Amino acid sequence: MRMSVPLRRLRQAPRHLLVCEKSHARHARSRHAAHVRDHAYNCRVSFLIPECGTLPEVLKSTIADVGEYYLLRNLSLHELVTHEFIDTFVKKGSCHALTYNTKIDQDNTAALLPTGKLILSVDKDTYEELGLQGRPSQYSGKKVMRYIITIDLMDPSFHPDSKKHKRVLWALKEKKPLEFDFLLAWCNTGAEGSTLMSYFPKNQIQTLKPKITFSTLRDLQCPVLQSNELQGKPEESCSTEELFEWLGAVLNQVSLDNKSFSFLSTYCCPQPNTIVEQAFLCTITGFIIPEAIIQLLEKLCCYFDEPKLAHWLTLTVHGFADSPVSWRESEHGFHKGGENLYNFVVFRNLDYWLQMAVGTNDDCPP
Amino acid sequence: MARADPPPPPPAAFERRVLRSAAEHHYLRVRLELPDGGARPSAAQFKQLVVTALRELHGEVGAALPVDVLTYEEKTLSAILRVTSSGLVKLWSALTLLGFYQNRRCAFRVLQTSPFLLALSGNSRELVLD
Amino acid sequence: MAGFADLNLPAGPDKKGLQSLLEAAARLGYSAVALNHVIDFKEKKQEIVKPASPSELFPSLPIVQGTSKRIKVLNRLTLIVSDPSHCNLLRSTSANIRLYDIIAVFPKTEKLFHIACTTLDVDLVCINVTEKLPFYFRRPPVNVAIDRGIYFELLYTPAIKDSTMRRYTISNAISLMQICKGKNIVMSSAAERPLELRGPYDVANLGLLFGMSESEAKAAVSTNCRATLLHGETRKSACGVVYTVKKPRKVEEEETTLPACKKAKTQA
Repeated sequence: MRMSVPLRRLRQAPRHLLVCEKSHARHARSRHAAHVRDHAYNCRVSFLIPECGTLPEVLKSTIADVGEYYLLRNLSLHELVTHEFIDTFVKKGSCHALTYNTKIDQDNTAALLPTGKLILSVDKDTYEELGLQGRPSQYSGKKVMRYIITIDLMDPSFHPDSKKHKRVLWALKEKKPLEFDFLLAWCNTGAEGSTLMSYFPKNQIQTLKPKITFSTLRDLQCPVLQSNELQGKPEESCSTEELFEWLGAVLNQVSLDNKSFSFLSTYCCPQPNTIVEQAFLCTITGFIIPEAIIQLLEKLCCYFDEPKLAHWLTLTVHGFADSPVSWRESEHGFHKGGENLYNFVVFRNLDYWLQMAVGTNDDCPP
Repeated sequence: MARADPPPPPPAAFERRVLRSAAEHHYLRVRLELPDGGARPSAAQFKQLVVTALRELHGEVGAALPVDVLTYEEKTLSAILRVTSSGLVKLWSALTLLGFYQNRRCAFRVLQTSPFLLALSGNSRELVLD
Repeated sequence: MAGFADLNLPAGPDKKGLQSLLEAAARLGYSAVALNHVIDFKEKKQEIVKPASPSELFPSLPIVQGTSKRIKVLNRLTLIVSDPSHCNLLRSTSANIRLYDIIAVFPKTEKLFHIACTTLDVDLVCINVTEKLPFYFRRPPVNVAIDRGIYFELLYTPAIKDSTMRRYTISNAISLMQICKGKNIVMSSAAERPLELRGPYDVANLGLLFGMSESEAKAAVSTNCRATLLHGETRKSACGVVYTVKKPRKVEEEETTLPACKKAKTQA
């Protein structure tokens, strides 16, 4: 009796969600691009193409086009709500900003979405000092220790002379000045890209390039998949969960050929599977904006324009563990982990599977 | 990207499945810390140490918990472990309370846990971007 | 800030050892630690010494892993009391006592546990984890302590060092949880070596072993530590007023900005 509660807690794993969808990339109502666009903050993108030895030129140049981003040191938050900044960047293109090296379960965090929404996730003390209207964090528990403040910089009523704007500026500049390091990316079709560099002082801003690695995996065991069978079919094809674990194993260099009696590990590639002679793996790490991922996904679909040996390929995207949102404006938090990631399996006929995974402090993905 | 019509087989109809807290396994990225100059365990010794930790805290039932050492790097003493979801707290607490390896002090550091192995391949808290 | 904290690193004469502990704590992601000065009345008569300021001890404090901030170092005083007379020190006029950010008391008897929970002006009550509970936890004093904003401290290092102590730690913790329902718990290390320290998420997971819920366990290494510190600040500033009234001495900044309500309360 006495042990019942602790015993139960010993067996409970933290909450998590995995959403699996299937559809067709050329279907008029397919939401694949929307799902990518709605996931604003991405730290790593990987794609795996079985039966591929060298990357086609068009994919090489797409990777090379994944834009630079910027690291802004010690930026006062109020600089992001000045009208000069809003007019120059937020209203002219899509502007992404996320605080760097802040931990959402411990520190204050801020993010500027491409929609022009500035989201602050702050602790109770900061919230009270700021005096801006917000709401308690969904994941703060009974005793509210964290608050979310959303400021719409694109709101027409947020013009320079408005009471609202003055109040926000005063709160962030005088009342409780907040300073962060920010990751920043700005994408503006058909305009010069150097403006961010010239807008901020040289000693404060630094250009960073995404890190790109390539590798070729030899004799890789790959699960057999059928695009119309999300749950798989015994003896015929593997399920979406099996694929998801297998891909995790491949990306973490886990050995796939163990036996049930192996001492170290009993993990093995799901059945049925085939061995492919080689597979191409590319990983891009940085502050990657959704536009670049949509481009890459599109080019990966075009990979199947010409006949290929591969039956499918995958594109995996990792979100930031400490971002205040996952998809759209859904609140995201960090409990034991801050996972928010998604993976596409694109089939030869352009059917696709989309898997979206989140951890304990997250809403259900869209 | 203009493209010809989709290939002959009918395109997959939209389907959505939501799996709530359904992961069969949880994964832990761990690192073992040893005093300088201590002997480094081989992969088999490492696995044995994990089983010992489970037995010390949770007895024979604990030691019987299926745990897989998916990867192990002797140089850095880091590993990825897989455990049945219902055994996560037990494995984690056993590693935390383990204090000795071959009569010398040691400490297990759990660097990341997730119900998704894929999440362990892109942890933004460990990325150094600048 | 509700960063992670370890409110118990033993303060000893070994500065180098302490430095390596601080470095390990920062590397593990703790943003604050308290150096614990212990007074045990069983040993020879002891006086409350003036704690060294952390900035004097360590000219450059280590940076907390994954941030740009330096670790915050606080001073804590723990009295091990086995007789009611030992508590007099807390009421003494020694000015040194208010140089500590946190005051903790380790009661050895049920009566002293009761006094600590209900009347003593302390921030933390230590729970015995190295032997069988010498007395029962009873609901009334524990509830009073919770209402007064006092926290209970559980140490985890003994459970790493020794299997018998591990059993006492878990069993005593579970007994306490049945009474306090997981509320007002702080988990600290009392680690003497870096390899005895554990990371904050690892310690939070231990909380589940002690019968806490996920959120209570995480609070025990973060928000509850912050609350303990705030409790200490209030106590410290309140004491300060009493002293400035009794015999004027060098008044520090924090005392001059005391709200009127606090003055009234302490003078009454």
